[in-house]
Amino acid sequence: MADLTTSWLGLTLRSPIVVAASPLSRDPEAIAAAVASGAGAVVMHSLFEEQLAHEQMAAHRFLDARTDLDAEARSFLPASEVFAIDAGPYLAELDRLRRRVDVPILASLNGTTPGGWTSYAKRLESAGADALELNLYEVATSPDETGAAVEERQLDVVRSVVGCVRLPVTVKLSPFYASVPSFVRRLEQAGARGVAVFNRFYQPDIALDELDVDRRLVLSTPAELPLRLHALALLSPTVSLSLSCAGGVHSGLDAAKAILCGAHAVQLASALLLHGPGHVGVVLAELTRWLDEKGYRSSAEARGVLDLSSAPDPHAWERLNYARMLDGWR
Amino acid sequence: MTAPPRFRTLDANEAVADVAYRLSEVIAIYPITPASAMGEHADAWATDRRANLWGAVPEVVEMQSEGGAAGAVHGALQAGALTTTFTASQGLLLMLPDLFKVAGELTAFCLHVAARTVATHALSIFGDHSDVMAARSTGMALLASGSAQEAQDLAAIAHAATLLARVPVLHFFDGFRTSHEITRVAPLDDETLRSLVDADAVRAHRARALDPDRPVVRGTSQNPDAYFQSREAVEPFYARFPAVLDATMARFAELTGRRYRPFEYAGHPEADRVVVLMGSGAECAHETVEHLLGQGERVGVLKVRLFRPFSIEHLLAALPASVRALTVLDRTKEPGSSAEPLLQELTSALVEAVARGERDALPRLCGGRYGLASKEFTPAMVRAVFDNMAAAAPRRRFTVGIRDDVSGSSLPYDADFDLEPDDVSRALFFGLGADGTVSANKATIKIIGEETALFAQGHFEYDSRKAGSTTISHLRFGPRPIRSTYRIRRAQFIAIHDPEFVERRDVLSAAMPGATVLLNSSVAPERVWASLPREVQGRLIEQRCRLFVIDGYGVAEAAGLARRINTVMQICFFSLSGVLPPAEAMEHLRRSIEETWGRRGPEVVKRNFAALDAALAALHEVEVPAAVTSERRRLEVVPAHAPDFVQRVTRLLLEGRGDELPVSAFPPDGTWPGGTSRFEKRALALEIPIWQPELCVQCNFCSMICPHAAIQTLVFDPAQLAHAPPGFRSVPESFEPALEGMHYTVQVAPEDCTGCGLCVEVCPAKDRLKPRRKALVSEPLAVHREAEREAFAFFQTLESAPLAGLPIDKRTAALRLPLFEFSGACAGCGETPYIRLLTQLFGDHLLIANATGCSSIYGGNLPTTPYTTNREGRGPAWSNSLFEDNAEFGFGMRLGLDVRHDRARALLAAMAPSLPPPLLDGLLAPGSGEAWIDAQRRRIGELAALLERDDSPAARALLEDVGALVPRSLWIVGGDGWAYDIGFGGLDHVLASHKKVNVLVLDTEVYSNTGGQQSKATPLGAAAKFASAGKATRKKDLGLLAMSYGHVYVAEVAMQARSAQTVEAFLEAERHPGPSLIIAHSPCIAHGYDLVRSPAQQKRAIDSGMWPLYRFDPARVDRGEAPLVLDSGPEKIDVSKYMENEARFRMVELRSPERYAMLLEASRVAVRQRRALYEQLAGIHLPPEKPNG
Repeated sequence: MADLTTSWLGLTLRSPIVVAASPLSRDPEAIAAAVASGAGAVVMHSLFEEQLAHEQMAAHRFLDARTDLDAEARSFLPASEVFAIDAGPYLAELDRLRRRVDVPILASLNGTTPGGWTSYAKRLESAGADALELNLYEVATSPDETGAAVEERQLDVVRSVVGCVRLPVTVKLSPFYASVPSFVRRLEQAGARGVAVFNRFYQPDIALDELDVDRRLVLSTPAELPLRLHALALLSPTVSLSLSCAGGVHSGLDAAKAILCGAHAVQLASALLLHGPGHVGVVLAELTRWLDEKGYRSSAEARGVLDLSSAPDPHAWERLNYARMLDGWR
Repeated sequence: MTAPPRFRTLDANEAVADVAYRLSEVIAIYPITPASAMGEHADAWATDRRANLWGAVPEVVEMQSEGGAAGAVHGALQAGALTTTFTASQGLLLMLPDLFKVAGELTAFCLHVAARTVATHALSIFGDHSDVMAARSTGMALLASGSAQEAQDLAAIAHAATLLARVPVLHFFDGFRTSHEITRVAPLDDETLRSLVDADAVRAHRARALDPDRPVVRGTSQNPDAYFQSREAVEPFYARFPAVLDATMARFAELTGRRYRPFEYAGHPEADRVVVLMGSGAECAHETVEHLLGQGERVGVLKVRLFRPFSIEHLLAALPASVRALTVLDRTKEPGSSAEPLLQELTSALVEAVARGERDALPRLCGGRYGLASKEFTPAMVRAVFDNMAAAAPRRRFTVGIRDDVSGSSLPYDADFDLEPDDVSRALFFGLGADGTVSANKATIKIIGEETALFAQGHFEYDSRKAGSTTISHLRFGPRPIRSTYRIRRAQFIAIHDPEFVERRDVLSAAMPGATVLLNSSVAPERVWASLPREVQGRLIEQRCRLFVIDGYGVAEAAGLARRINTVMQICFFSLSGVLPPAEAMEHLRRSIEETWGRRGPEVVKRNFAALDAALAALHEVEVPAAVTSERRRLEVVPAHAPDFVQRVTRLLLEGRGDELPVSAFPPDGTWPGGTSRFEKRALALEIPIWQPELCVQCNFCSMICPHAAIQTLVFDPAQLAHAPPGFRSVPESFEPALEGMHYTVQVAPEDCTGCGLCVEVCPAKDRLKPRRKALVSEPLAVHREAEREAFAFFQTLESAPLAGLPIDKRTAALRLPLFEFSGACAGCGETPYIRLLTQLFGDHLLIANATGCSSIYGGNLPTTPYTTNREGRGPAWSNSLFEDNAEFGFGMRLGLDVRHDRARALLAAMAPSLPPPLLDGLLAPGSGEAWIDAQRRRIGELAALLERDDSPAARALLEDVGALVPRSLWIVGGDGWAYDIGFGGLDHVLASHKKVNVLVLDTEVYSNTGGQQSKATPLGAAAKFASAGKATRKKDLGLLAMSYGHVYVAEVAMQARSAQTVEAFLEAERHPGPSLIIAHSPCIAHGYDLVRSPAQQKRAIDSGMWPLYRFDPARVDRGEAPLVLDSGPEKIDVSKYMENEARFRMVELRSPERYAMLLEASRVAVRQRRALYEQLAGIHLPPEKPNG
C-alpha cells in the first residue's frame, strides 16, 4: 500500500490530507473525527483582525454605551469583564485542538494592520501553533491603489511576520495576481515556506426577489479544481516551497490530481462540511487505491509528475492550451 | 502581595457590598433601585470566585421578590449561615414580616438599605427615610450612615455588633445621594474585619442553628398565657445593644482610627441651638455648622447613628446641656402624626430625661421635614433652621426646601446663601446618557481621588428618559473631606457635552464669575458665538466666563468612536481645569483608558487613544465680546398652544426648574392630565425617515413597528388638503378598494422621532433603479425639521377616513389613531409597539393596570406622559399600583367596573317604563366591536338627553353612570419580572377567575428597568445578572401554565416579525369572555445587539423555535376543534443562529465555549421538546363544556 507520509512546511504529516481553514475547526470533536479518519494536519479557521476589531467596537457600542445612562440601571448585562473579545477565544480553541489531536495544527491569520499581523502571529506562536497560514484575503475596492502596491504591501506583511516568529509560514493566495509565479517567488524570497492555492473569495450572489445582495456562503465544487491544478503545475517546478491545494477537492481522485500537479498537501473543507469529518477516510482510501493501482509506492513519488516540467506535454499547461481547445472545436 | 491602596473612590453601594460580602455566607437578594448595585457587586464577585473572610465563596442567589429574599434570609439564618441582603423602599416593605420574625428570634443579621421613598401618590426612586421608618417597629436596630466612608465602616460595625448582641441591624444610607455618590474612601482590609468580628460570636451564631443532632423547635404559636411574657424576654438584649454597638465602634476606632458613636455631636461645646438629623443631610448640616461657628454662632449638629434601640443615655452624653433650642429634622412624612418619628423619639427621650432629673428643662423643640425623594437640602436651609430657632417665636413645625403655599408649612430660606470655599474645584457636566459623560467623570474622580492628595466627590443626576436621557455630573475636588451633600450651585467649570442643551435649559445658572465654559459644538469656532441664544451670550458676558469650544463629535467620529465623546471631553476638562499638570493628566488618562477598555480589546484602546491625541488640537477658545449680539432667544421648551397646566407646571419641570414650583402647583392626589409628551419636543434624532411617496406600497410596516408612534400612517378625505403646507405629501389610497377616492400619507413627527431606524429597516419598497433607496430614507433632521414639523402639525388636524367598516388586520390597525405617543422608552424599544397597538385597537374604552417597571416609567414618569386622547377626548385611563400586585390591581379594577356597569344596567332596567322600548332594548342588548360601541355611544347620548329632562333621583343616578353602558376593555400590562416572578402568584390567581381581564406580558426575558437581572423568563443559555455564566434552567412556560386552566385565552406573539398574528391575538383576547394572557416577545437593549436588527432577530427567534407563536382559544373546544393553534412552523434554523447574534448569549460562549456548547445543546433539546408538546396539544380534541347543537 502506498506510503502517504508527507513532508510539508518542514512538518512530517502522516497523510497529505489536511483539514482546511473552515468552521469545522471550531468543533474539537469533528476535528478529532477527521484526524481519526486519517487527516495529516489541521488548519484552523482564520483569526480575522478586522472581525475582532469590529466585535470589540460593537461591544463598546452596545454594552459600554449602555452603562451609566440611567438612574435605575448601571448597565444591562453582567459585569462586562467577561466580554473580552480578542484573540483569547481563538487561542483557547487552538489549545483545545492541540490537546485533542496529535497532528500538527496550523493557525490561520488574516490581519488588517501591520501591527496586528505581527502581534497576533506572535501570540499564535506562543499558544503552540505548529505553523502559520497567512490568509492574505482582502477585497481591493480602491481604484487608487495599484496591483503592484497591493502586492508590495502583502510582501511586507509576510516579511514582517516571518521576521517575528520562528514558525514555518505558509501563505494562502487568491488567484488574482497578474503573475502568480512571480508573486510566489517573491513570497519565497520574503521568507514564506509554502503557499496554498487558492483562497475561495466571499462572492455574494443576487437575491432577485428582494433586489438585494445574497450573502449566503456557497460550498466549493470539484469544478473549482482545475484552476488550482493549473497553478500548482506552474508553481511546482519554479519554487521550492511547500505547495498545498485548497478548494475543489472532494474525492480521492481529486486529491490525486492535485498531487500529480505538485501539491505536497491537499486541503479539504467543503467536502467535510458536506459529508462529515469522516469523509477524510473515504478520500484517503480512494487516493491510496489509485496510487496502488498506478503502482506509486508513495504519494511523494507521484507528486509533481504532471507539473509544467514533467508533464508529457508541458505546453498543455501553457496558454496554447486555450488556443488548442478552440481548435479542437472546429 | 501588594499593599491595598490607601484610598479608593467608591459609592456607598460598592463600599457596603464590599464589607457585607466578605462577612457573609449567604446573600439572598432581589433587585430594586437604588440598592440593586449592592447585589450586583456581590453576584459579580461570587462569579469571580472571590472568597469571604472564611475562605468560602458566598452563595449569592436572586429570589422572586423581596418577600422571597427575606424568607430565604430567615431560613439561611436558621440554618446558621452568616447572611445578608440589600434592599430599599417597597422591597423593605415586602421584607417586614420576616424582619419581625428574625428580630423576634434574636438573630444576628445585618440588612443594608439604600433608603428610598415609599410609593404613595406616586412612585419615586429617590432617597428619603420613609421606607426605613416603616420598619421601625420590626425590632431591627436602625443604624444610619451619611457618606460612603461611614456606610462602609458602619456596615462592618453592624455585622460585628449584631453577632455580639443578637439584635439584627438594619443599616441604611440615603438612596442616590449616598448610595450612588462617589467619594474617596479608606478601604477596610480583611485583617481589620477579622479583628473586628468576634470569632466566638460567630461560633455562637452557628451553634444556634437548627440541627437534627440537637433538635429544637422555633416558630411556635403561642397563646395569651405565654406570648406577652416571652415577647418581653427580649428586652435585655435591646437594652444592651447600644453599649455593645458603642464598644464595637470603639474597637473599630482602635483598628482604623475612625471613631463613631451612637450619637455624634459636632459644633460649639456650649451650643444654644442644635439641629438633630440622620443620614447624608447631617453632612451638609455639619458643614454649615462649621461655617456658622466661624461666624461666632453657638450652634451644633447631633448626628443620630443609632435610631433604634434609642439610647437616652447615649443621647444625653452627646447633646450639650447648654442647648436651649433643638430642631429635629425628619426625612420622611407621616401624615396625621403629632410629629415625625425622629422628633417623637427625641421628644419622649428628653421628656424622660427631665422626668428622671437628668436634665433640668426641656429645650425648645421644633421639628421639620426636609429632603423627601432626594429634594435638595443645602446649607441655606440648615441656616434657615438655625435662624428659626433664634427667632422669638420659632415655627414649631415646618418643612424646609420647598415653597408650601397650601398649608404654609415651609420655612423661608436665602437661596443665595453659599459657603463653599474657593479652594474646592467644582465642575458641572451636562451630558447625554449614551455619550459616556458619567463613565468618564467616574474615571476622572478615580484618577484624582486615588492618584492625588485631593478629596473628590462625584454626584450624578439622570432624567427618567431612556432614549436621549440627560445626565448632569457634579464633581468636586478639594484639600479637605467634602461634606457638601447637595448639587453644585456655583461652578468654576461647566461643560456642555451637547449643543442642544444651551437651547433647552439654563446651563449657565451655576456659572461663577470667571468660570470656564466648555461647549461641544460642530459649529466652527469663529461662528460659535453667533450661534448662541441671547440668554447664553448674556450670561457668559455677565459672569466674565471664558468660552472654549471643541467639535467633540467630529473628533470622536474621526477616531472611530461614533458619538462617544467622553475621552475627548475628559482631556479637555483636565486641560482647562488645571486640576492636574497636563502631562500628568494625559498619562493618567492613557492608563485609565487601558485599564477600562483594555478588557474590550486593543481596538477600543487604540481608538480612544486616537481621540485623546486629537482632542486638544481641536480645542479652541472663543472670544467673548462685550455685548450680546444674538437676536435669537432660547427655544421654548413647550409650544405656546400647550394647555395652561403644561405652561405652568410641565414647562418648569422640563426646564429643570421643578424645585421652584410651589405645593399648590401640584394635584394633591397624584392625578395628572395625560397626553403631555406631545408638548415635549426633544428632537433626539440625527436622522429621521423621509417618505418617498412614489415608492411606497402602503403596507404600514413603518407605523406598525415604530416604538414611539413617531411615524404614522393615515387614510383621509383629500377634501381636507386645502390648507396643506407645501411639505405635506399624500397619494391616492391604492390598497383597499373600500377606501377608493381617499388619500394616504406617511408622516414623521420629526421632533419626536428618536432616529432608531426601525421604520427604514422594515420598509419593503425599493427603488428598482437604486435599490438602496427605499420608500423611507434616513435624512438629516436639520435639513427636514422645519418642513416636517409643519407637515406633522397639519397631519394632526386631519380626520381619518371611516375605518369602522373594514376588518381589523395588521394593515388597518396601523391606520388607527395611536393613543400612546412619544414615550421616553429606549430608541428601538420592543415593548412600546404592543402598547401602541393596544391603544389603536381599544384605546377609547381602555383601562390599563400597569406593573412597575420599564412600562410604568415610560408610561407614567414625569415630566410628561404618553397616554393621550382622541378628538372626542376619550383615551386610555392608566394607573400603576405596585410591582408585585399588578394582576390583583387590574382584577380589582374589573370588579369595580363591573359594579358600575351592573348598577347602570339595574338603574336602566328600573327606568324601563319611562324609556322608549327600542332605545332600551338597544342599550341592554349585548354587543362588542367598534361599530357596536359607536352605536351604543349614540344610544347613550339619546338616553342622556332624555335623562337631562328628568329630575327624578333614579334619572340623576343613572345619568352619573350612563357611560358605563359601554363595556370597558381592561388590560393588565407588565414585564416578565412581574408576570413570571414577583407577581406570578397574583397573576395565577387572577387567571384562575372567570373575570374578563386581559393580561399583556411584555417579555424582555430579563428585568430591564433595574438593569438586566435574570427572571424566570430568561432563556436557557443567556447571560444575565445573577446568571453571568449563562442560565442553566429553561425559561418558564407561562403560557402553558395558563393553558392548563382550560378557560384562559393564551397567545404568544412577536409583532416585529409577525404583526398579523399579534393583531389577531389581541382581538381574540378581547373577544374572549374570560381572562386572557398574551406573552409578547420584546427586543430590549439588555439583549446586547443593535436593535435596528431586531425584526430579523425576532424572526430568527421564531424560526429557531426559541419563540413559538401560538393562540390557545378555549372557544375552539366548543366548536369541536383543538384549542391550540400553532402559528409558527417547525424549526427552520438552528438555535445557534439565533443565539450567536446577541451579546447575552455570545458572552457565555466567550467566557466558556464548553459551557456554551452544553447550554446550546440543552436549548436545542428544550426547543424540540416544547415543539413536540405543542404539536400534540394542537392535535388534541377535548369534550366541549357545552355540547354542540
